[in-house]
Amino acid sequence: MEKFAKAFPSKPLPSKTAKPWALAGVVGSGNLEVLLERGGKPSNAMECHVETSIPGYKAAWLAALSDFAHHYAAGGTKVTINDQGAPPVLVTLRLRQAYDHLIKGDK
Amino acid sequence: MTGAILFHEQTARQRIASLVDLHSFAELLPPPERLTSPYLAQLGIPVSFDDGVVIGRARIGGKKIYLAAQVGQFVGGAVGEIHGAKLTGLFKAAARDKVPCVLIVESGGVRLHEGSSGEIAIAETMRAIFECRALKVPTIAVIATDIGAYGGIGILSTCCDFRVMTEHGRLGISGPIVIEKWMGKKAYDSANRALVWKTSGGKTKYLLGDADALVHDTADAVRDGISKFLGKSSAVSLASIKARQKELEKRLKKFGATSEPDAVWKGMGVRDIEAASLASGPEFAALAKRGK
Amino acid sequence: MKKPTPKKPSARAVLARLFGASAKDIAIEKSVLTGYATVGGKKVCVIGTGDGTYIDNAAALRLAAHVIQCIERAPKTPIVMLVDSAGQEPNRVAEMLGLASYFGHLLSCLELARRKGHKLITVATGQAVGGAFLCYGMFADRIYALDQASVGLMPIAAMSAVTKIPAPVLEKLSKTMPSLEFGAAPFALLGGVEEVWSADDDVQAKLAAAIAASSTDDNRAELGKKRGGRKLALDIRKKVLAESAR
Repeated sequence: MEKFAKAFPSKPLPSKTAKPWALAGVVGSGNLEVLLERGGKPSNAMECHVETSIPGYKAAWLAALSDFAHHYAAGGTKVTINDQGAPPVLVTLRLRQAYDHLIKGDK
Repeated sequence: MTGAILFHEQTARQRIASLVDLHSFAELLPPPERLTSPYLAQLGIPVSFDDGVVIGRARIGGKKIYLAAQVGQFVGGAVGEIHGAKLTGLFKAAARDKVPCVLIVESGGVRLHEGSSGEIAIAETMRAIFECRALKVPTIAVIATDIGAYGGIGILSTCCDFRVMTEHGRLGISGPIVIEKWMGKKAYDSANRALVWKTSGGKTKYLLGDADALVHDTADAVRDGISKFLGKSSAVSLASIKARQKELEKRLKKFGATSEPDAVWKGMGVRDIEAASLASGPEFAALAKRGK
Repeated sequence: MKKPTPKKPSARAVLARLFGASAKDIAIEKSVLTGYATVGGKKVCVIGTGDGTYIDNAAALRLAAHVIQCIERAPKTPIVMLVDSAGQEPNRVAEMLGLASYFGHLLSCLELARRKGHKLITVATGQAVGGAFLCYGMFADRIYALDQASVGLMPIAAMSAVTKIPAPVLEKLSKTMPSLEFGAAPFALLGGVEEVWSADDDVQAKLAAAIAASSTDDNRAELGKKRGGRKLALDIRKKVLAESAR
């Protein structure tokens, strides 16, 4: 297991979201779960916590998270990830899904 | 609805969303509470925020229910200390509030990484299920995936009032790989899917009367299946257990010497095995005269 | 040359220890025990397994039939359940016929007995593992174990073989997590066993006291927390009950 945390600059989240938190994905082989919550501080940063079963890919993780924080207004959120070896493309997809759920709700 | 996705292909959370009335689900102990397994963490195995079971309150057709859905992808949906305590608590809440409790099963049984705690939790949940039954609070197990209901969770599922299955669902205690290891490939080839499903699959369980409904592999069909039982309960009475004793004795006498699932199908009223193999859900049920 | 290995007590010897001379009326058929005996001068119904036998569909039916007989002919008589079974034998025909349902039926019979005022006391006398323990023994009001009993999910070696986690890792963790350890004593720490009876104990007196003190509330989560072996279960359950009451 490898564990790390980092905050990335990001534009503040819209003041209204459909839900206070959203979860995307499932912890399973080659998959991950992303929990995205409001109420992170400060409002211009996305706070990230990652736990992954495959060590040695910290740079790739930080790049994916930084990229997401740059493209989405996710300031003031907390992202917590439980990973079981998901490929990078899936990480980005789950982040987007969680963000969509947070903003728009489930349906 | 998610008509395009089959029920067995959905995740636990998707299943809940597609089964219950829109926006009616309120999760209990939701992910932000971060109640994760200390055992898995110590062993260096990824944890999950719901510990493999999503529980909460919801409505189906306007009726209040308690609902749990196990997450098969996470350690095989296996029951650890937290997972099991969530289930026990949910059935106890159902008994307290006299609200039906539905369990969407997807579990191989006890989570080995957590040792005996999961085993005790399953025993405690069984007690809570029977608490519901004594109060005539319906308890319904839905078994609809190939992970199905095995080990202690297989036994636990048979403690509920009703079981709704699809043909994908499997119900048993020992899985095919374990049996193959024990008896040899000749006795049980676990790669023979037709044999595996005819041994433990929904169709055979429905024929024998161990599943109370056999439905199509869609959320709509599963919801209809659940709805039929929400107003019913099956009391544990002297008459009911004596009738069941007779039925199970008869079953053992009739089929105990055969190893052929087709003999069971024929014995339970299936005339055309081939047609029945191709039929699914209610169409299959119509081809069989169950229990005759 | 064969080395003398310590012999496990036979089912008969175990019965004699628990029920004295009254054990003679307990039938043993293919290591399945059914009958009546006397504990502290009072009649009890006995069901159980012996000699580490496997429990199958037929065995479950025999045990269930005796519970039904006890409900009908000996109302409110305490039921003592003895467990010495290696579990269910992996068998395709047993699965095809619905072994889980046979176990569920046995549990239903015991549930009816409980509702009708029969006290349910389990004594794990030998192997008390897996499905064989879940399908009747663990369903008692109160569960006891003889100290030589092998109680729990599975020994660490077996756990290691299935999970692929090295045994030394599990051994080390089991020092702080009794759930991973195998045996009557760690199982008691989890609350799964009320009390472990040692070789020096007067088990007949212990059994009589256990029947007298029995209660139908499931106290295992409380015990597990109090004894420190299962720290989370009770609080999680309470949290579910509290959040759902809101």
